[in-house]
Amino acid sequence: MAVSVAVHGHGPDDHGGHDDDIIYQETRDMRLMGFVLFLVSDVVLFSSYIFAYIYLRNSIQPTWPPIVDGHQLPRLDTAFAAFNSVVLFGSGVTMHFALESWKHANKPRFNTFMWLTIFLGLGFLGGQGYEYAHAQIGGWSGNIFGASFFTLTGMHGIHVFLGVCFLFALWIQTQRGVYTEHRFFGLTAGTLYWHFVDVIWVVLFFLFYLW
Amino acid sequence: MATVAPGVPTGPYHAVLDHIHPEPTSFIRKYIFSIDAKVIGMQYFITGAIFFVIAGLLAEIIRTQLLSPHGAILSAATYNSVYSMHGSAMVWFVVIPLLTGAFGNFVMPMQIGARDVAFPWLNLVAFWLFPVAGVILFSSFLVGAPDAGWTEYPPISLQGPLGTNLWCIAVFLIGISSTMTGINFMVTIYKMRAPGMTFTRMPLFVWGQFATTPLLFIATTALGAALAALFIERVFGVPFYDPKRGGSPVLWQHMFWFYSHPAVYIMIIPGFGIISEVLPTFARKPIFGYKMIAFSSVAISLLSFSVWAHHMFTSGMVPWLQLPFMIITMVIAIPTGVKIFSWMATLWGGSINWKTPALYATGFLITFTYGGLTGFFLAAVPADYHEHGTYFVVAHFHYVLYGGSIMSMFAGIYYWWPKMTGRMYNEKLGQLQFWLTFIGFNATFTPMHWLGLLGMPRRVATYDPQFQFWNQFASISSYVMALGTVLFFYILFDSLRNGKKAGPNPWGARTLEWMVSSPPPYYNFKKIPAVLAAPYDFGNPLPYLGLDAAPGATEATPTSASHPVPTY
Repeated sequence: MAVSVAVHGHGPDDHGGHDDDIIYQETRDMRLMGFVLFLVSDVVLFSSYIFAYIYLRNSIQPTWPPIVDGHQLPRLDTAFAAFNSVVLFGSGVTMHFALESWKHANKPRFNTFMWLTIFLGLGFLGGQGYEYAHAQIGGWSGNIFGASFFTLTGMHGIHVFLGVCFLFALWIQTQRGVYTEHRFFGLTAGTLYWHFVDVIWVVLFFLFYLW
Repeated sequence: MATVAPGVPTGPYHAVLDHIHPEPTSFIRKYIFSIDAKVIGMQYFITGAIFFVIAGLLAEIIRTQLLSPHGAILSAATYNSVYSMHGSAMVWFVVIPLLTGAFGNFVMPMQIGARDVAFPWLNLVAFWLFPVAGVILFSSFLVGAPDAGWTEYPPISLQGPLGTNLWCIAVFLIGISSTMTGINFMVTIYKMRAPGMTFTRMPLFVWGQFATTPLLFIATTALGAALAALFIERVFGVPFYDPKRGGSPVLWQHMFWFYSHPAVYIMIIPGFGIISEVLPTFARKPIFGYKMIAFSSVAISLLSFSVWAHHMFTSGMVPWLQLPFMIITMVIAIPTGVKIFSWMATLWGGSINWKTPALYATGFLITFTYGGLTGFFLAAVPADYHEHGTYFVVAHFHYVLYGGSIMSMFAGIYYWWPKMTGRMYNEKLGQLQFWLTFIGFNATFTPMHWLGLLGMPRRVATYDPQFQFWNQFASISSYVMALGTVLFFYILFDSLRNGKKAGPNPWGARTLEWMVSSPPPYYNFKKIPAVLAAPYDFGNPLPYLGLDAAPGATEATPTSASHPVPTY
C-alpha cells in the first residue's frame, strides 16, 4: 500500500500552484454536492404542488377542467404553450453551448450563447405573461384549476426569473475575470440550475397541457 | 505550513481540512455573527433554551387549566392558542433546532476531525433565521395566536386568527433554516471526515446526524409547500384546502404529515446518536452492534418517508391504503428494536458508572421503549379508531418526545457540558435533577394513557368530572417536572460560577472531540489526526495518529507510525 507523505495548506509564500489547485478542487466538489442537494430539495417543493394538483384534480373526477357556475372551463392553449416550451428548451441548448465555449476558452462565442440564453429565458417569461393574460380559467383564486395552474407555473416562472438574474450575475462575473478556463464552478452551477428549470417544465407541460 | 505528521497518509479532502483561517478578534464576529460551528452550536443552545422555557411555561398553563373540569384559569379560546403554541414551539423551536443545530454544530465537526462545517456562512444564516422565526412565532400572541393545534388542520386554520399567518411565516423560515442545516451537514459528513475515518469508523452520533440530513432537506420542503399554500389561501383566497371551493382539507394532512412524520425522526435519530455515545462511555464497554445501530438509523430514516398516512386513519382514507401504511409503520419497530437491544447489550456486564448522563441514557431506554410500544398501538388501524384524538395520543407522543428526545438531550448536555464550558457540573444535584424529571415525567404522562382509553379527548379546555382525579394527579406531577427544569438551569449556572475545571476528557471517552482541550480551541485540531478504527474499543490504545498533545488525556496517545496504515 502506497503511503504518500503529502504536505498541503497554503501560506503567504504559496501563490497559486499545485496546493491551491487541490484546495480549489475539493471546495468545488463540496459546493457541487451542496448545490445538487439544494436542487433535490427544490424538486420536493415542485413535487408537493404537483401532488396537490393531481390530488385535487382526482377528487373531482370525471370532469376536468372543472365546472364553474354550470359551465366547464376551457382547456389551456396547448399550441402556444408548445411554442413557448421550445423557447425554454432552446435556452437549455444555448446554455450548454455557452458552458462548452467557456471550457474551450472561446470567450466571444461564450458571450453570444450566454446572451442568447438570457434572451430566450426572458422570451419564455414574456410568453408566460401572454398566456396568463389570455387563460380563461377564472384567475388564481377562482377555482382549483386556476389555483394549481397559476401556483405551479408561477413558481416555475419565479425560478426562471431568478435563473435569468443568476445568469446575468454570472455573465458580469465572467467579464470581471472571476472565472478562469479551469475554475468556473459558478458557471457549472448556473447551467445545472438552468437545466433543472427546463426539466421541471417538461413535467408541468405534460401535466397541464397534455393530460 | 506543514500540518500533517510525517507518515500519516492524507485523505481525499485533506487540503480543505488543513486550511486555517485566522480567528476573528472583534466581539461581534466572535460571538454574534460567528462562522465557527462551535459558537453557532452554543447560540442554538441558548436560543433553544429560551424557547424551551417559554414553551414549558405554556405547558404548565395547560396543566393548571386542567386542574378543574370546568377549566381553572383560561377561556376556551385562549386555551386553544396556548396548546397550539406550546406544540409548535416545542417541535420546531426547541427539539429540532437543539438536536440538529445545537448538538450537530457543536459536536459533529469535532467528532469527524474537521475544523468547521462545509459551508460556515450558510450555517450562520441558518442560525439567525431561528431566533427571527421564533420572535415572529411568539409575536402572534399580540394579534391572536393560532388556535388549531400545532398541526393547524384546515378548515379550522383557514378561519383562525391573524396570528395563523405569522405562524405560517415563522415555521416556513425555521424550515428553510432546517433545510440549510441538512444540506450543510450532509456535505460536511460526506466530504470532510478526517483521513482514515471511513463510514464504519464514524462515531455513532455522526451516523445519527447523517441519517437525519435527508429528512431535513427533503421532508422539510414539503412542509414549506403546504405552509405557503395555507398562507396564500388565507391571504389571497386561493382555494387549496377549503372544501366549499373545491379544495380538500385532507390534502393539507397529506402534505403536512409527509413532512411531520419524518420530522418525528428528525427529533429522535440524533438523540439515538447521543445515547450511543453516552452508553459505551459509562459502561466502559465497546458498543454492541456498531454497524447495526448505524444502519438501523439509515433504515428508519428511509422508512419514515412512507408511513405518514398513519396519522390519517380517521380522516376518510380509502380502506385498502390503510393496511400498507399500518404494516410499514410497524416495520419501523424492527430497526428501532435492534437499537434498543444493542444498547441493552452494551450495558450488559459493563461496570456502569452511574453519572447523570448514564442515568438519563438509561431512563431514555425505559421511557422511549414505552413510548414506542404505545406507538405500535396507534399504528394498528382498529385500535387507532378508538385512540385517535384522545389523551392516549398525547401520552404517546410525550413519551417519545419528552421521554425520548428531551431525555436524550439532557443526557447529551450533561455529557458534553464539560467540553463546552471546561467545567464540571455538581454531580449530586445532577442526579437529583434526573430523579425529579424522571419521576415527574412518568407521573404526569402515564395517567394520560388511561384517560385516553377511557375516552377523554385531547385539545379541550374543560372535561367530564369523572376524569378529574388523574388530571389533577398529572398537573401536580407536572410541577415536579418544572421544579426539575428550574434545578437544571440552576446546575448550569452554578457550574459556570463554581464548577471544577474539567480537563480535556473527564469521562475517559474515546471520540475525537475529547482529544482536544475543554473548551476546544478555535480550530479544534492544530493537526488533523488520522483515524485507524471506530472509537469504541475500550481497553485498546486510542485509534488516532497525529493528535495534538492533549494535556491530561486519560489514555496514552500513540505517536509512532507503527500502527496499521488506514485503508481508504
